[in-house]
Amino acid sequence: MGLERGISFVPLFLFLHLFIHGGVGVEIWPLPESASNGHHTLVIGNDFKLNTHYSDSSSILSDAFSRLLNLIQAPHVVEANISLFHHSLILQGITVVVSSNNEELQYGIDESYKLSVPSPGRNQFTLILRVIDVPLVPWTIIDQPRFSYRGLLIDTSRHYLPLLVIKHVIDSMTYSKLNVLHWHIVDTQSFPLEIPSYPKLWNGAYSATERYTIEDAKEIVSYAQRRGINVLPEIDVPGHALSWGVGYPSLWPSKTCQQPLDVSNEFTFKVIDGILSDFSKIFKFKFVHLGGDEVDTSCWTLTPRIKNWEETFNDFGNKLSRKTVVHNWLGGGVAQKVVESGLRCIVSNQDKWYLDHLDTTWQQFYMNEPLANITNPKQQKLVLGGEVCMWGERIDGSDIDQTIWPRAAAAAERLWTPYDNLAKDARTVAGRLSHFRCLLNLRGVAAAPLAGPGRGAPEEPGSCYLQ
Amino acid sequence: MIANSPAKSHTTSTRILSSLFIALFSFSLFDPFSSVSAVNESLTYLWPLPWEFTSGNETLSVDPGLSLAIGGYGGNSDILRAAFDRYRGIIFKHSNGVYLFDRLRGRRLVYDISKLSIVVNSDSEDLQLGVDESYTLYVAKKDGQSIVGGATIEANTVYGALRGLETFSQLCTFDYGTKSVQVYQAPWHIQDKPSFAYRGLLLDTSRHYLPVDVIKQIIDSMSYAKLNVLHWHVIDEQSFPLEVPTYPNLWKGAYTKWERYTIEDAADIVSFAKARGIHVMAEVDVPGHAESWGNGYPDIWPSPSCREPLDVSKNFTFDVISGLLSDMKKIFPFELFHLGGDEVNTDCWNSTPHVKQWLQDHNLTTKEAYRYFVLRAQDIAISLNWTPVNWEETFNTFAENLNPRTVVHNWLGPGVCPKAVARGFRCIFSNQGVWYLDHLDVPWEGFYNAEPLEGIDNASEQKLVLGGEVCMWGETADTSNVQQTIWPRAAAAAERLWSKKEAISTGNITSTALPRLEYFRCLLTQRGVQAAPVTNKYARYPPTGPGSCYQQ
Repeated sequence: MGLERGISFVPLFLFLHLFIHGGVGVEIWPLPESASNGHHTLVIGNDFKLNTHYSDSSSILSDAFSRLLNLIQAPHVVEANISLFHHSLILQGITVVVSSNNEELQYGIDESYKLSVPSPGRNQFTLILRVIDVPLVPWTIIDQPRFSYRGLLIDTSRHYLPLLVIKHVIDSMTYSKLNVLHWHIVDTQSFPLEIPSYPKLWNGAYSATERYTIEDAKEIVSYAQRRGINVLPEIDVPGHALSWGVGYPSLWPSKTCQQPLDVSNEFTFKVIDGILSDFSKIFKFKFVHLGGDEVDTSCWTLTPRIKNWEETFNDFGNKLSRKTVVHNWLGGGVAQKVVESGLRCIVSNQDKWYLDHLDTTWQQFYMNEPLANITNPKQQKLVLGGEVCMWGERIDGSDIDQTIWPRAAAAAERLWTPYDNLAKDARTVAGRLSHFRCLLNLRGVAAAPLAGPGRGAPEEPGSCYLQ
Repeated sequence: MIANSPAKSHTTSTRILSSLFIALFSFSLFDPFSSVSAVNESLTYLWPLPWEFTSGNETLSVDPGLSLAIGGYGGNSDILRAAFDRYRGIIFKHSNGVYLFDRLRGRRLVYDISKLSIVVNSDSEDLQLGVDESYTLYVAKKDGQSIVGGATIEANTVYGALRGLETFSQLCTFDYGTKSVQVYQAPWHIQDKPSFAYRGLLLDTSRHYLPVDVIKQIIDSMSYAKLNVLHWHVIDEQSFPLEVPTYPNLWKGAYTKWERYTIEDAADIVSFAKARGIHVMAEVDVPGHAESWGNGYPDIWPSPSCREPLDVSKNFTFDVISGLLSDMKKIFPFELFHLGGDEVNTDCWNSTPHVKQWLQDHNLTTKEAYRYFVLRAQDIAISLNWTPVNWEETFNTFAENLNPRTVVHNWLGPGVCPKAVARGFRCIFSNQGVWYLDHLDVPWEGFYNAEPLEGIDNASEQKLVLGGEVCMWGETADTSNVQQTIWPRAAAAAERLWSKKEAISTGNITSTALPRLEYFRCLLTQRGVQAAPVTNKYARYPPTGPGSCYQQ
C-alpha cells in the first residue's frame, strides 16, 4: 500500500480508522474528501513495516509510525494466526512517499495526502480472531482539509493543567486532525508561565508548583510540532490580566483598580514587549494572540492618570493593522462583517463552539458553519478556519477530556471535510461519531457519551456504541 | 514536597489576600505558609502515611541521571528494573534547566542523590495474599558522618521494594526555583508496612465495557496509593465480555464484538498488575447477576422469559461453570476467586415448571436450592485449588453450611464482619454506606473514617479481617468518567487500609488529612490521573470555580 504527497502524520491516523471496526462499514472521522472502497479483507502481518525513502532527519515519521503500531495494538496480535492466511492477504507494511523535505510547520502547510490499500490477488474465506484486519479493500482515499486553521483553545489560567494532561490533549487532537492548540496561558486568576525578561510575573501563579518553565513550554511546542500541530500562544491584554500585578504591582492602575493594565504607563508596554520577545524564542507559529476581550475600562475613568487616554483608545478600532486576524467569539454574524472589511477571521462563536457551554449539543457543534452568509469567494478565503474553546473555570485535569470530546470532533469534521460531503442533517452522522467516540475511549481518551449534555455520565448500563 | 523559601510563599500570600481567597482552615492568615503554597510544614505529604518515619530539615538535590544499584538475593529482578524505569519517568517529568545556565549562576552540579540502592532479600516473585510488602527507605546526604549516603530501599520481597519506590517518588519534588528535583526535609528514615494485606478496588466491566488500556491506567493509579487487589467483576446481567474457550458462545453476550476481552487481554492485565505488585481477583457471580450467559447458551436460563437466576436444575449449568472456571484458572493465579452469590431472586425457579419440579423431586425450598447452588459452585473452585469469596448474603442465609474456607465479602452495611469473624470466617469489608464509589454523595470523609475492624475487639478475630475494598460499580461509570469517580475518594480508603490505625484515627482530619489528600490529588493529576476535586460535595463533579489545585 502506499501514500503519496504531503506530510504524513495525518494519513497514518486515517489508516487506523480503516480497520479494527470492520463489519458494518468503515467509519472514518473526519470524513475524507473522497474515498472509494471494495469488498475484500486483508490482515496486518506480523512485524508490519514502514517503507520510505524520506530522510526523516528528526524522526518525525518513524515516531509517528511507532505510535501507530501501538494504537492498532500490533503487539496484541497472536502471531500463529497470521500464518493461516494466504500471503496475498497479508499487508506487510506501509510505504510512505513524501515529496517535500521541508519540515517547517506553519499556517497553511500542505496537509493533503493520498492513501491506497490494494486488493488481494484472490478470494479468501472468512477470518479468525485476534488478527487486525483491514476490511473493504481496495481503498483509495484522496484527502485534504477545507480550512487550514482548525483549533482548540485550552485555558491554563483558571486551572493549572499539568504537562502530561496537555500532552494527552495534543494526542487526542491528532485523532480528529485538529491542528492548532490555542494556549490561553494567562488570565485574571493566575500567571503560570516563566518569563525570563520579567521573572516576577510567575509569582502570580496559584502556587509554587502550578507553573510552566520555559523548558516545559518548549517541550509542549515540540511535542505538538511532531504531531503536525501548531501552538498559538495568547497573552491577553489589556483586560484579563490582573495576575500580572502580583509580581509587578505598578502594572495595576491603582490598588483598587487592577484591571485593565495601566495604559498610561510605559512600563506596561515594556513588559508586553518582554513577554513577546521571550515568546518568540519558544513559539514558532507565525501568529500570536493578543486577547483584547472583555475590557471594562470603567476604572480607568476613575483613575486620574489614565482618564486622558480614553479618546485614543476609542479610535483604536478603526486603525487595526491589516495584518490582524480577528477572532470572533461573541456570536454569529461577526465573521461576515470582518471579512467584508477585508480582515481575516477565525470563527469561535460562543453560542455554538464554546465547549464549556455544556448545554450546546454535538449536533450544534457539527452544524455551525464558519462561512454562513459569506458568499463572495474572495471574502470566504479570508476565513482562516475556526476553533472550539475549552475555557477553564470549571475544567481541570479531572474533567478536561470528557468536556472536549466528542463535541470537538463534531467541529473538527466541520473544519476538515469539504462542504458538500458534510451532512445536512447532523443525525445522519450520529452512528459514525459514536464509533469515533468509542475509538477515543479505546485509546484511553475519556470522551463522553453522545447522549445528554456535555460531559454527562452515561445514564445506564449499555454498549459504548449506543450511548 | 515542602514549598519553597518563605519569600516566595509570602508573595503568593499577598496575592491571595488581595484576591480574597480563603486560607487553609486551621492556619492563621498571617502565617506565611498558610496561603496557596502546597504545604504546611507540620504535616507529612506522603500518601498513604507510612508507619514509622523521621525527617529533618535539609534539602537534597536528585541527579536527573539517577542510577539503580541492586543488592540482595532478589535484587536481580526484571520486575524491579522495570519499576525503576517507570518511576524515573514519573520523578523526572520536567526537563531540567540548561546546565550552562546553572554554571553561570554558580549552581553546583554535584547532586546529593545520584544513586538509588535497592536491596531485596528474597528472590521469590510469587505474588500471593499476605506477601511481605514491608520496606525501609533511607534518604540522606552522602557525608563523612552519615552511615548511609544517597537513597536506599531495603525490602524482603520485590513487592516491598515497589512500595518503597512509590514512597520515594513522592519524596521527590520538582523545584521551580532551581529547576531541579529535590527532596525536602531530609534526612528521611522510613519503615513501612500495610495494616491490611487485602486493599482492593472493584471494577465492573459488565455494565460498561472498559478498554484494556483504561484498565491498565487504573492499575497504575492503584499503585500510587498502594492499593493491591483488583477485584475484576467481569460479568453480570447486562453483558458477558470475556472469552471462554471451553464455551465459546458465552461472549456472544458482550455488548458488541468489539467490547470484549480475549484470553490474551486478560492475561495481559494480570501480568501488568503483577509487575506492580497487584493481585487480580476475578469474579464469576452466580447464580444471580448472570442473565448475559444465556445469549450464547439459552438453556442456561430457566426459560426465555425468566432468565435469572441460572437454572439450578440442570447439570449443564454446572458444566458451564466448571468449564469457565477451568479456563480462568489458567489466567488468574491469585488464590482467592470470587463467586458472587448476591441479590438472588429465586422467583424464576418457582415459576418455571421444570425447575419447580426439580425442587420438589429433591425436596428443596428455593432458599435451600440457592444454598445448594452456591456450595456446588464453591466445590468447583476449591477443586481447582482456589479459596472462594462470596458476598455476605451467603453468610447471612446459611452460615452454618458455608465452606469454612470461604471469605465473606461484606457489602450490605455495617456490623457484618464482626459476626463473620466471630464464627471463624475471614472477612473483606466493603460496607456500601461508606465504601461504594458509585454512591456519589459519600464524601472523602466518609471513606476516610470507615474502619474495617469496627466492632471487633478480640485480637485473634481482628486477624481474620483480611482488609477491605472500595467498589466502582459501572451502571453510570464508563471510560469517560470512571477515574474521576474512583479518585480521590479511593485514596482516602487506601490510607485507612495501609496506615497505622492510631495515626489516622485521632485529631481533626480537616487539619491532619485534608491538606495531605488535596496534595495527593494534585500529584495524581500531575501523573495524568483524572482525580476529581477533593472538597466537592458530590463525587466526579467539576471544580466549582477557578482556583489552585491545592485548594479544591
